Amino acid sequence: MIVSITRRRFLNLVGATGGSGAVYKAALGLGLVPSFASAVERPDIAPLSKSTRKVVILGAGIAGLTAAYELGRKGYECTILEASHRAGGRVLTLRHGDLIDEAGAPQRCTFDDEPHLFLNAGAARIPSTHNTLLDYCRELGVELIPFVNENRNAYIQDDAAFGGKPVRNREYMADARGFLAELAAKGLQAKVLDAPLTKADQERLLEFARAFGDLDGQHRYRGSIRAGAKSYDYTRPEEKLPFREFPELLDCNFWRIAMHFTEQPDQAPMMMEPVGGMDMVVRGFMKHVGARVITHAVVEAVTLREKGVDVVYRHNGKREKIAADFCLNNIPLHLMAGVEHNLPPSGAGCFTAVPRGKLLKIGLQARERFWERDGIYGGISWTTQDITQIWYPSHGIHKRKGVLLAAYCFGGPAADKLEAMPHAERLELAIRQGEKIHPGYRRYIESGVSIAWHRMNHMLGCAAEWTDELREKWFAALQAPAGRHYMIGDQVSYHPGWQQGAMHSALKAISDIDRRVRAESMTSGLLA
Amino acid sequence: MEPRDLSPRELRLRDLGLRSLGARNLIKRARRIGANASWLAIAVLGLSFARTACAAEPLDLSYCTVCHGTQGNGNPAIRAPKIAGMEPWYLKRQLTLFRAGLRGTHPEDITGREMQPMTLQLDDNAIETVVAYVKTFEPRPSRPTVEADVERGRKLYVSCAGCHGERGEGVEALGGPQLTQRSDWYLVTQLELFRSGLRGFSEQDVAGAQMRTAASILPDAKATRDVVAYINTLPASNQEDAR
Repeated sequence: MIVSITRRRFLNLVGATGGSGAVYKAALGLGLVPSFASAVERPDIAPLSKSTRKVVILGAGIAGLTAAYELGRKGYECTILEASHRAGGRVLTLRHGDLIDEAGAPQRCTFDDEPHLFLNAGAARIPSTHNTLLDYCRELGVELIPFVNENRNAYIQDDAAFGGKPVRNREYMADARGFLAELAAKGLQAKVLDAPLTKADQERLLEFARAFGDLDGQHRYRGSIRAGAKSYDYTRPEEKLPFREFPELLDCNFWRIAMHFTEQPDQAPMMMEPVGGMDMVVRGFMKHVGARVITHAVVEAVTLREKGVDVVYRHNGKREKIAADFCLNNIPLHLMAGVEHNLPPSGAGCFTAVPRGKLLKIGLQARERFWERDGIYGGISWTTQDITQIWYPSHGIHKRKGVLLAAYCFGGPAADKLEAMPHAERLELAIRQGEKIHPGYRRYIESGVSIAWHRMNHMLGCAAEWTDELREKWFAALQAPAGRHYMIGDQVSYHPGWQQGAMHSALKAISDIDRRVRAESMTSGLLA
Repeated sequence: MEPRDLSPRELRLRDLGLRSLGARNLIKRARRIGANASWLAIAVLGLSFARTACAAEPLDLSYCTVCHGTQGNGNPAIRAPKIAGMEPWYLKRQLTLFRAGLRGTHPEDITGREMQPMTLQLDDNAIETVVAYVKTFEPRPSRPTVEADVERGRKLYVSCAGCHGERGEGVEALGGPQLTQRSDWYLVTQLELFRSGLRGFSEQDVAGAQMRTAASILPDAKATRDVVAYINTLPASNQEDAR
């Protein structure tokens, strides 16, 4: 007999046995709540009791730590080999005294020793859609605060527009929307629109344009308070700023990318950052798996065997070997190209084919948070100069000092140009270019660091730069296990450069390990 | 949870081992480069385990292998050439040139500029150590990547043979290194650097300056590739790499 059950009754039953998290999941399953939940569920790894499995993890980046955390608590014996002096990979928070291990040009971080004076030199923001990472933050006790990714009070600066002078983001946005709306309104009124619209729809569309651009009664754009007021002295009437003409706005390259930057789901509000630095995520994992991490362990060879993987590494000048049942390999593709291995060329061929990202960040400590006096609390200014962006810290608001991200070059000629400079020259360039956005900038700057990810020892590159063609040719083979060896990391995801991509690659790999171990134990009866 | 945090200089001091030097020498060196007490202590500590740990293994020079590959077979993904199998005398000469700023200092020599700072902290002993370390690598056959006009290359090679040997085997007495079994794309890069005067720019680099003159007989970049394509056909140059 089939017992029918209402959805409400079903959810109540689920709640009684599985708690609110289970209710939420069940509700998702029934399509009762909208979802951007990841398709990559945290795998339910079968615990090992009678026999263990040796897993060697190459690289203590986010993917490696995630895998070790999940497998370790289910009885797997994990060892993480990390070539550098620290765990975290490209999750790197720089504070007073930290080493920046650039090949041939090491630096020490000279920021003051204060908890809010740090630079997230790698990963720096967490989107609301990155639910796997957020789940781990919740579980590992990583406290989060809002991260401001867009600030209408920050500046845009383009040498080719507005006489090279910085303009508030909000002025540009208001004027650009206004003119675009005016154009649309004119079109609607001239009935040039051949879309099949009813009279009523046309009226509503006209109102839409007016609302979108803050048009006047005649559907003209004549400036808007959205661009900001001449002064914020509320003993006087509020006065609009003069507006700029559309051709002038088009001269400024802001509309090409930066203006729409925060429209993408992984750059849109609400974003977050951990209190005290992004490496709180790393510390969270390290509390559980730190004892399994060997630093200064440089992998020399990865050899597939019939029922496992051998890894040879150098540690303290001695050559060591681990014979593991499984290997999870987080080593950057472009460095695997220099490691001895017998991986099949179907996947390994891409080690020399996928370009490495060339990203560079500069952090400057300011003796005073002058930007806050200018109405800028967090967010980003954009410029067409080499430095590309200035980020204002979302943390430590109204403290005396702050650390600015004073340059963020993502690839292109700017990254190459700055890479070739000695550290001091990079800082000088960042200060000089910052002056164009904030006159008097120089006198606030006390110290700085520069991080050229493609010159960092044991890293020599940022996120893998996949193209559609490269993906087509290599990705499936790279993602598939080769024997008992799995490549992981953000490089083996469709979201390189993000912790969520790294985590997903790890969860996919360990799910497969779990599947294989379950299958083995079915035949051998080893599992409890 | 913070792992041990040694600066590259500290690591190098430890790694270089200074196994061949006594502790007294080490301290003297450290003082010379301005060491403070704390990392001097680390370095001395390092020496003690370097001594015990290095017995089975020459030295731990991760700085070479991060770029050049764990057996020095090169890494085209980051444009680091194969150094395994390079003649010790040639390797020593190049490290010395880099260190003196006679190679890898021109802004347009991008990879040379990446290599150059690596040599700045090597003293003569350390260079010997590096050369000895590279000797332990197991060279893997180089895989040809340059395809061009071999016949034209054969004709052009006639003028190379004097210093580099008929079969590209190298002539130490004339300062001409072996050309076979190198990374062929690296030969192209270096010939272009010689041709444009970005390498061999100083008379102090005697062999380099000679090579710069010699490279000027190559009329264009195509000729460079042709000659390298011919070098690829010389014995022991055309074996397929396992990868």
